[in-house]
Amino acid sequence: MNDKQYEILALTLRYWFVLLIIYVFAKSAARTLQDLFSEKPVNRSTGNIPFVLVLFTLTSFGLLAMQDSQNFNIDTVLMGLLVSAIVLFQFYLLYYLFPGMDEILLLMVNTLAILGFVMLQRLTPELALRQVEWFTAGSVILFVVMLIMPRFKSLGKMIYPLMALGAVTLFLVAFFGEESGGATSRLPVGSILVQPMELVKVIFILALANTLSEEKTFREKIPLFLFVAACILGIVLQKDLGSALHYFIVFLFVYQISTNDWLITMAAAGAGALASIIGYKIFSHVRVRVEAWKNPWADIGGKGWQVAQSLIAMGSGGLVGLGLGLGSPNIIPASRTDFIFAAICEEFGILVGGMVIGFFALILIRSMHKATLAQFSNDMLLACGSSVSLAVQAFIIIGGVVKMIPLTGVTLPFISYGGSSMVASFALLGLIQSVCIRNYRFAREMEGHESNHDEYNEDDMDEEAKENES
Amino acid sequence: MKHLKRNMRGALFILLGLFLLLTVYFYYNLFLYSDRWFSDPSNARVRVDMVNPKIIPGSIMDRNQKVLVDTKSTAKNGNTVTYYRDYHKDSKYAAHVIGSGQYGIGAEVLYIRYLLGYDNNLFERIYQKAFLDQEQGNNVILTIDIQLQKFIVEAMGKQKGSVVLMRPQTGEILAMVSQPSFNLSSTYEEPAEESLLNKASHGQYSPGSIMKVVTAAAALESMDEIQEYTVECRGVTEFDGVVITCSGGEAHGEVNLSRAMEVSCNAYFAKLSQEMGWKELKRTAEAFGFNKDFVFSDIKTTKSRLPVSRQTDAEELAWSGVGQGKILVSPLHMAMIASTIANGGIMTEPRLIYGIESRSGRIRLQNSNELASPISTETAQALTNMMIDVVENGTGKKARTTGLLIAGKTGTAEVGPEDNPHAWFIGFAPAEEPTLAIAVILENAGTGGNKAAPLAGKILREAVKSGY
Repeated sequence: MNDKQYEILALTLRYWFVLLIIYVFAKSAARTLQDLFSEKPVNRSTGNIPFVLVLFTLTSFGLLAMQDSQNFNIDTVLMGLLVSAIVLFQFYLLYYLFPGMDEILLLMVNTLAILGFVMLQRLTPELALRQVEWFTAGSVILFVVMLIMPRFKSLGKMIYPLMALGAVTLFLVAFFGEESGGATSRLPVGSILVQPMELVKVIFILALANTLSEEKTFREKIPLFLFVAACILGIVLQKDLGSALHYFIVFLFVYQISTNDWLITMAAAGAGALASIIGYKIFSHVRVRVEAWKNPWADIGGKGWQVAQSLIAMGSGGLVGLGLGLGSPNIIPASRTDFIFAAICEEFGILVGGMVIGFFALILIRSMHKATLAQFSNDMLLACGSSVSLAVQAFIIIGGVVKMIPLTGVTLPFISYGGSSMVASFALLGLIQSVCIRNYRFAREMEGHESNHDEYNEDDMDEEAKENES
Repeated sequence: MKHLKRNMRGALFILLGLFLLLTVYFYYNLFLYSDRWFSDPSNARVRVDMVNPKIIPGSIMDRNQKVLVDTKSTAKNGNTVTYYRDYHKDSKYAAHVIGSGQYGIGAEVLYIRYLLGYDNNLFERIYQKAFLDQEQGNNVILTIDIQLQKFIVEAMGKQKGSVVLMRPQTGEILAMVSQPSFNLSSTYEEPAEESLLNKASHGQYSPGSIMKVVTAAAALESMDEIQEYTVECRGVTEFDGVVITCSGGEAHGEVNLSRAMEVSCNAYFAKLSQEMGWKELKRTAEAFGFNKDFVFSDIKTTKSRLPVSRQTDAEELAWSGVGQGKILVSPLHMAMIASTIANGGIMTEPRLIYGIESRSGRIRLQNSNELASPISTETAQALTNMMIDVVENGTGKKARTTGLLIAGKTGTAEVGPEDNPHAWFIGFAPAEEPTLAIAVILENAGTGGNKAAPLAGKILREAVKSGY
């Protein structure tokens, strides 16, 4: 196959890829609307999405295998088969093991992950395999969380050692971490570099949900405040401002939702705004980011380079993209991690880019819906905190890439290259899924007792749940 | 429990709102700017390689399809073919419009999407890849007439400045000259920084008295009894503590709007802008495109500025109405204002692409777009009558040409005590049924009436003679 034949194929297949993603998106959106507005639980049909995802994976990896005009790259095809097999296995295993699981949520996450695999295979083939390994690790974590979490109503006192561990780790990283890209956020463990700031997110959500699920006095909430402050301070010391912002916003949301305490929320938000103004005044790298955001074209060779190249890549793509393998996403800086959204827009087009944003919105809607269906406030906060965390993270990075807000480097959940991010995102998904499972089990119990009782009150429900756990 | 669900719903709506905003921002920006981003000089995706290129870039022609730039091959050396961009000798008369990839300006950069055939549909692209030995880009046909460009460049001689000549109804730019210029076909001379700047679109000048057209338009739009409104001009007129001098200290006596326009009376327009207030002046000026980032599909241009606001003091406002404040404009924008008046109050988007010629020779004509209608037809007519008077009896007398009725306004922009002022002229012709609008600026040349008006008359006559 020569270059021109590859180009023809890639040009034509653009439409195929867009169609497949549109199909997945439309199906997911339709199912989400159904779930939102129907009283009865909808059947567990997957709407052929797994099949479509496999088609997408096989065609895109098959196309990439032919990119080199000299030889057909069999490894790439094998990679496509591997990805399909893992995704199918992961999905159907969980699907049959956990009847209460939200299957559409998992399928949307898998879609995002597959987009990431294809992009990584196209950018740096060696990293794609690593990413698949991380995906597998993430799926195992997901499985474990889904297995264990529904058994506990809450973590109780167990949370305090976890909180201490999280905060201490973040400080340790700030002082002993390895530097990369201006931030010292990585800790070498064995042969890999772990980003504890990603993993502590899970503890962060657990701690918030655990502490705030019951009404507490200010004094009782002090450990939580200390923990939150320590986390954010630790991350600021790591010079990772995007993640600090992320933690802070998640805290604000969950705190306001659970306590309805506008006073402290607003005070905290004001303090945060003040801190960012001071940060702008003191730190030159913050000012550089803001200037690059205001007008990246003013200093295109220097400060504005990253954002300008990202915009150029997206502008080059057009609706359906330049075609897989026909663009030059390697020009974009950090195209594997922070700017992978721009790379996707360049080669798959801005329609797919818009749908990536849409998938994150759907993930948020579904999880929030599941949160409102939960019986216990702890469950509600777990599902809602996790989904807010994923959504805010996606917003911070996509907003930065499209120049809506100043760029701060955080990963795009499930898509960007990175083990810690992948595992942490899957753990958060696991929390959401375990809430779904608990909801389901609870509904089943209700049905079982329908014939014996006419009325239920909350105390009964609690007792039911306790029985269930023991 | 209750407030939990309610708050969660609130949070969901806030976050969904943010996502919606993100999506809208994303698509809106791409819709507006993606062509510009694509054609940015730092986009390495579309760099034209000249050795064994994948796609041979198309040529650039003027509106009469006279080739200005095309691609030629030097020598075939084994399997390597090297190409180069061949600039026709007349291309130097439109150097800024044609531009070059080397300097990152002009059509060579901005229209790279067409030149490399990225605008072709799927079938054409596949056909080329499948059946042609060498893929080709499309030819870009510009709206400029290279003969007119040549005439204008020669008429200007060594004089620095800029001329924009356009068609009011369609926005087509017939000529866009910026001096000093540089020679595209010579690769040996390193052009000076100044000569690379396209002053027509990127020059920032004080408008001087041509701004009075905008002030008059604002008054006509906002004041009911404007025709009866008069001011006593004493050459050096003082009111509300502001001293306004007219050109040469000449006293015009009691003047009304048309008389003031004819003799370009500073006192009248200074008083007028105070009378109607900063709001009205700003509103009409902004309707004309001041303080606005123009996003044209064919041309990049700078923002024209009229910095008046509530804080503006009386003196600043008075001088703004005369065109002598902190106002900055580009010649292209002034030509657009002239063409708006010529076109009965409707502003069209200026265009440089006449059409795209595909491989098969079929020409896809570009559409003309209406930008806005800043003034009513009546206001446009009233302004036209005044501008005819300016050329027939007033400061623009030297633009008069037998057999051609020209409407116009002169401007003399003071730039400092040491230097000669910039000479301006904006206008259109034939005044009865305009087919041409023009803006002329000659840097440090003297008064608009003496320097810019004769040149504008000459150019308009030549253009009419050429059939436009």
